[in-house]
Amino acid sequence: MENKKNGTPTLANWLASKFLKKTQHEEFLGDLEEIYRERVSRNGKLYARMKYWLDMLHILIGFSVLNPFKTDSAMYGHYLIIAKRNLWRNKVYSLINILSLGIGIGVCLLIAAYVYFELSYDRFHDNLDNTYRVIVEQTKDSGEKGSSPYTAYAFAETAKAEIPEIESFTRVFQADESAIVTDPESEKTINQEAASFLYADGNFLERFDFPLKTGTQESVLSGLYDIVITEEIAEKYFGQRNPVGKDLRIDGGNSSGTYTITGVLEKLPLNSHLKFGFLLPIENFWKQGNGGSVNRYGGWERQWYGTYLTLGSTAEPATVSKKLDGLLLKYEGQVLSENRGVEKTTLQNLGDIHLRSDKYTVPDYAANKGNLLNVRIFTIIAFFILFTAWFNYINLSTARSMHRAKEVGIRKSIGARKKQLVRQFLMESLLVNIIAALFALGLALSALPFLSSIIGKELDYGLFQIPSFWIFFLAVTILGSLLSGLYPAFVLSSFRPIGALAGGKIASLGNLSLRKGLIAFQFVTSLLLIAGTFLVYKQVTFMKNQELGMDMERVVVLKGPTIISDMPEVTDGTNMEQIREAQAFTKTIFDSFKDEIIAHSSISAVTGSRAIPGMSKNISRQDIRKMGEPESVGKYGRSFPIGSGFIETYGLELLAGKSLSEDMAKDEYVIVNEEALKAYGLGSPQDALQEKIMIGSKPRTIAGVVKNFHWQSLRDKHTPYVLRSGGGINVFISAKINTSDIEGSLAHIQKVYDSFYPGNPLDYFFMDDAFNRQYLEDIQFGNLFLGFSLLAILIACIGLFALVSYSANLKTKEVGIRKVLGASTGNLMLLLSKEYLVVLGIAVAFSIPAILYFGKSWLDNYAFRTELGMDLVIVPATVLLLISVLTVSRQTYSTATSNPVDALRPE
Amino acid sequence: MANKGLGEFEELVLLAVCILDGEGYGISVKKEVERHSGRSILLGAVHITLYRLQDKGLLQSKIGGSTVKRGGRSKRFFKITDSGLKHLKAAQEVRQKMWELIPQLKFNM
Repeated sequence: MENKKNGTPTLANWLASKFLKKTQHEEFLGDLEEIYRERVSRNGKLYARMKYWLDMLHILIGFSVLNPFKTDSAMYGHYLIIAKRNLWRNKVYSLINILSLGIGIGVCLLIAAYVYFELSYDRFHDNLDNTYRVIVEQTKDSGEKGSSPYTAYAFAETAKAEIPEIESFTRVFQADESAIVTDPESEKTINQEAASFLYADGNFLERFDFPLKTGTQESVLSGLYDIVITEEIAEKYFGQRNPVGKDLRIDGGNSSGTYTITGVLEKLPLNSHLKFGFLLPIENFWKQGNGGSVNRYGGWERQWYGTYLTLGSTAEPATVSKKLDGLLLKYEGQVLSENRGVEKTTLQNLGDIHLRSDKYTVPDYAANKGNLLNVRIFTIIAFFILFTAWFNYINLSTARSMHRAKEVGIRKSIGARKKQLVRQFLMESLLVNIIAALFALGLALSALPFLSSIIGKELDYGLFQIPSFWIFFLAVTILGSLLSGLYPAFVLSSFRPIGALAGGKIASLGNLSLRKGLIAFQFVTSLLLIAGTFLVYKQVTFMKNQELGMDMERVVVLKGPTIISDMPEVTDGTNMEQIREAQAFTKTIFDSFKDEIIAHSSISAVTGSRAIPGMSKNISRQDIRKMGEPESVGKYGRSFPIGSGFIETYGLELLAGKSLSEDMAKDEYVIVNEEALKAYGLGSPQDALQEKIMIGSKPRTIAGVVKNFHWQSLRDKHTPYVLRSGGGINVFISAKINTSDIEGSLAHIQKVYDSFYPGNPLDYFFMDDAFNRQYLEDIQFGNLFLGFSLLAILIACIGLFALVSYSANLKTKEVGIRKVLGASTGNLMLLLSKEYLVVLGIAVAFSIPAILYFGKSWLDNYAFRTELGMDLVIVPATVLLLISVLTVSRQTYSTATSNPVDALRPE
Repeated sequence: MANKGLGEFEELVLLAVCILDGEGYGISVKKEVERHSGRSILLGAVHITLYRLQDKGLLQSKIGGSTVKRGGRSKRFFKITDSGLKHLKAAQEVRQKMWELIPQLKFNM
């Protein structure tokens, strides 16, 4: 402590004074101080202090009583034998101890596996450090901001040509329409989701490390109709046969045609943000995608493409993104007359994509985005649970110590020194910790698939495959044994032999308030976890019961047809004539399909649309303003085309005007929501009907105004919605069923669908189920919380039980005397459990601010949220109170009802 | 005293103590070894080795020489013993003998 003046770390010096011999202490501290001064003047204070600590720890381990190399190893064999015998003798106690510790460490390992998995996303790519995704952020004149991970097609090429720091680029485009993929040989046909098609540049496999099982990396995507598939897809279509060189026919989707398989990829790593089953050349999409219409607007229109840049090793991402800003100004400024405001780019490192992509205002094709907040919360929980488990060990071992008093007394009186006893008890702690750690490993490994199913996400065993994990695990186990073993060891070894042997009981065993503190910590952990569980469930229930402004009950959604027979072919994507003809044909068929469906009495409304509730897909974010206002006041709104019948099918509530009917000419009418009235200054619903609005540069007449509706999860605020008339491509067909005979209606739908759209498998789901699936993640989060709280409570209860039985034991005599004097059982039970109720009270007080703080920051993620009331504190406190009273009462009851004669006789 | 020979680091420390000729204590030995071997060494490692060598009887030590720089604390100076010197020489001889048996080097000499 005397070292305040020279700046060396006081705590380190104090440790040295405790653990080193007098003579060595002087000499070593002298050396350390000398070198410390040199380091301060050479490398600064922080460095010197860190080195000081390092050296001190090294010396402490080398010279202190803890040094295992300084004693005869035979002694350790002896310690081990004694430790084993002790564990064996108290089987129940040892089992409880090992189990609670093991469960604690096991849970911690599970969480570590999850956290590691989340953090390991995309780390398997060799080019990780210098690969960046381009993010574009737009700031409009009105101050509104939006950002997206998409750029125009020509962006990457131009950037590479003009900015020397960029070594190479690769672009991706994830298909937005599902397609039917057929193996022409076996006629095997599967309807593949849009997300399984990824268009990419030819060098995609060089830039990203997805290893090929067969095929040559450089040339697999060189032809316009080359396709690479993954192992799983290959198995589905070809079984054991070699698929390379075979054909696959793609019907519908973004670019149909017959493709030749040039390569098969090994199973994609689970921790990749890019997921796909089919890899196609992006040039194919560019040249003939969407019926050839993609390139009609030139390379600087249509921000659709994810762009990844590989920078030179000396390049600064910030400098490059400055240059990219200039590039956007130069090229997009010319092409676009629309008011887009200022565009700025940032470069997002490949490794950040998974966890740091939640702020984009347009949906990201990397749909399996992680949640950094969850990762953080779980990391904290893991530490809390680990400490709870260790504290438990401390409590249990100290509580047991009275049974060891005699042993210690005898050992001491025949000449055992304190440090030998300390070693003995540390050895026991090490043994228990190691067994618990092994148990924990087994638990974690076998429970990992179970965890995967709770969080609804496949996890891999990646954590357990890295050597540094094992080193860390070993270090934590040993550190844990020391941490949890030191205190009991010192308490036990400090018994006075005479007291220990004479009374058989020791009046003061260590510091009771310290152990109460540990219990309080465990209570706080349990309270926080219960409160977390409660809050998550409360919020989910709140969201499910909220009025949505839409009626999704008994709405069945069919996936729209991808193949329409006899459709006039579009041979030239720039030929508007051809496109119109094809669209008209599609519409005619759909209209008769609709008539046929609705003819059935059970179906009250049918509509086709590109978007459905609960999904952000196919909704565009557009610059909208009231007609007559200047461009610069435009604000973003969400807009998508709907067919007639949409308002009726989804039960949107009209405040004014009318629904879109069949005869309203295409593209001219819109339905807006209340939020849009506010955003664009359209006045009351009635007034709005007189106004027109501009979407981009096109004027639209407002046909009707609907109440605000929750298109998506209640996480999102109400936003301005503008539903345009027209439809064209019916990605989804929704039908409202108004009877309870769902089976019959579905049979009808199936029959009509098959007759109008032969060759398309019918794929349907119910809207309310699909909508509630948005809350799946929240529910899973809640389930995890529930699991963790149960475990934390279990561990805390074991600790509490140990502590109570210990103090009940101490008070046997007091209870006996009180009983003789006439105290009732209830009185005595209260006497015994009173202090733990106080501890619980303190824990509740401590946890209130934490619960409110964390609760608020979690709820801030939701635009519509349940209120943060005191029930969030009261419910967990009551639950914990009940559980602890139950835990405690068994012990206190048996003590309080025991025969006082037994308690008082020994004297 | 076991006749197990010297470890590489022990040898370096012994040599440093010899070079420092009675002026060798923790830090000076650390610096000497660092200067000649070119690698950076933990102070604790030096201390542990010095004590081990002393336990083996290869070094002897005495207390002395406190300075202000070290907060007035004394140093422990180490000196080589006869046995220590013998060990060093023996180690050197073993090496020398083995060096002479390396055929690649014979012709170049």
